[in-house]
Amino acid sequence: MAVSTRSSFQLKTSFLPCTILQLNRYDLSVLENEIRKTISQAPMFFAGAPVVIDLEKVQDLEGIDFLEMKRLLISNGLVPIGVRGGSETQTKAAGNAALPLLNLSKTTTVVENKKPVEEPEAQVSSTTRFINTPIRSGMQIYAKDGDLIVAAQVSPGAELMADGNIHIYGALRGRAMAGVKGNTEARIFCQTLDAELVSIAGYYLTKEEIQKLPEQNSMIQIYLENDQVTIKPI
Amino acid sequence: MAKIIVVTSGKGGVGKTTTSASLAIGFANRGFKTAVIDFDIGLRNLDLIMGCERRVVYDFVNVIRKEATLNQALIKDKHNKDLSILPASQTRDKDALTTEGVGEVLEELSKTFDYIVCDSPAGIERGAQLAMYYADHAVVVTNPEVSSVRDSDRMLGLLSSKTKRSEEGRDPIKEHLLLTRYCPKRVTRGDMLSLADVNEILAIPLLGVIPESQAVLRASNSGTPVILDQESDAGQAYQDAISRFLGEDVPFRFIEEEKANWLKRMFRFKEKEATA
Ligand SMILES: Nc1ncnc2c1ncn2[C@@H]1O[C@H](COP(=O)(O)OP(=O)(O)OP(=O)(O)O)[C@@H](O)[C@H]1O
Ligand SMILES: [Mg+2]
Repeated sequence: MAVSTRSSFQLKTSFLPCTILQLNRYDLSVLENEIRKTISQAPMFFAGAPVVIDLEKVQDLEGIDFLEMKRLLISNGLVPIGVRGGSETQTKAAGNAALPLLNLSKTTTVVENKKPVEEPEAQVSSTTRFINTPIRSGMQIYAKDGDLIVAAQVSPGAELMADGNIHIYGALRGRAMAGVKGNTEARIFCQTLDAELVSIAGYYLTKEEIQKLPEQNSMIQIYLENDQVTIKPI
Repeated sequence: MAKIIVVTSGKGGVGKTTTSASLAIGFANRGFKTAVIDFDIGLRNLDLIMGCERRVVYDFVNVIRKEATLNQALIKDKHNKDLSILPASQTRDKDALTTEGVGEVLEELSKTFDYIVCDSPAGIERGAQLAMYYADHAVVVTNPEVSSVRDSDRMLGLLSSKTKRSEEGRDPIKEHLLLTRYCPKRVTRGDMLSLADVNEILAIPLLGVIPESQAVLRASNSGTPVILDQESDAGQAYQDAISRFLGEDVPFRFIEEEKANWLKRMFRFKEKEATA
């Protein structure tokens, strides 16, 4: 534990996973309904989640009420932190609603940027992170640019993330997110599956959905098949 | 070398202070020189449960601020001369405890005592982290309910990362599960998690199961920790826990409903590790 005498703050760089809300249309009441529905399926996942509003598909629209949209997101427990991909006018309007422009990985703002989103490069497992103690509630482990191997159990309330695959030699009772930078080839392996959430490249299954599947007694692998998270015994 | 034991839980009101008092007396009665420290600054409970509240003159914070010496602040237990209590202060100043200050006090105590029991405040904040920082053993007190198990699990995460041992890369702190307020009847009815459920999630060696018992309230009201009530189920369960801590292999009691036949009651859960 740190000592009592220290400066009032510390700057640390961090990997902040955030959710991208890509607007396909602009209709606030429809949006609100759909958001409610989505969140009810995975309340733990979305509670307090930082959200970036992606305007790329509605760039030509004028008169988006950003203040109202912000209120709507906040009242549903999300934390809007900015916008991306909008036109100059939209970006300015968003800025006035205290939603700054965020330059996240993709290029933003430029109107001529109409080319389809590039497929993320396949991730090479250059580094593997290995952990052999239990991952307890409240702990968050991220394996950057590679695989994560956990030779112990993962408690409810714990969270694993990897740019590559996740291997768990134990029970998975918390959350596991593989391919968090968009690698759709990433997989999750575990001994016992009682997870709160599993996700591959942003596609996810909630606890409820997982529990509906027949119980497995062997090792399990989780992967993406036609944009659908699939769970199969090995 | 003294062994420093933190009694911790995350969740409040699960029985940390009750446990700290009984463990401390248990060690002392087995002949070990023992000190028990109240880290719950501002709430001060341990002295009440130990029945020495009227003899509190100086406290932990006074010692850290060098307003009193350790010897002036330590209170000799009325039941056992090998046991001393270092009470918490009632000043609301939680920041009065510093990492170095606590370290110095523990170091000085280590010279004369065999066991030092630290009664942690609830929560996972600074106070609780200070109580665990120097510990060699952690007794994680858990009630058989989901929120308590979750908090204990969280605490176990902190124990593996936020202690001096972990920072220095030494052997990890020894973890012990103490399941308290266990009521087999309510487990059967499905109102409570079972011992097996809790064991599965926390997966650390089981030190003891203390039944829900009227004797505990009686004991705290009279200022004589329940371990001294040898007739009571909770008192006996604490005795068993002490024996296990000292490495004895003792069967678990009070984990089945009364009616169950005695063979079943003697059913043994082996502790994974001998700890002493
Ligand atoms: N085995 C038990 N059976 C019945 N009651 C119990 C038992 N253990 C503790 N209690 C009761 O639970 C209450 C809380 O106990 P205690 O003060 O020891 O908890 P604590 O974890 O120290 O609380 P805090 O977090 O506030 O410090 C007390 O009223 C105590 O009498
Ligand atoms: Mg207490």
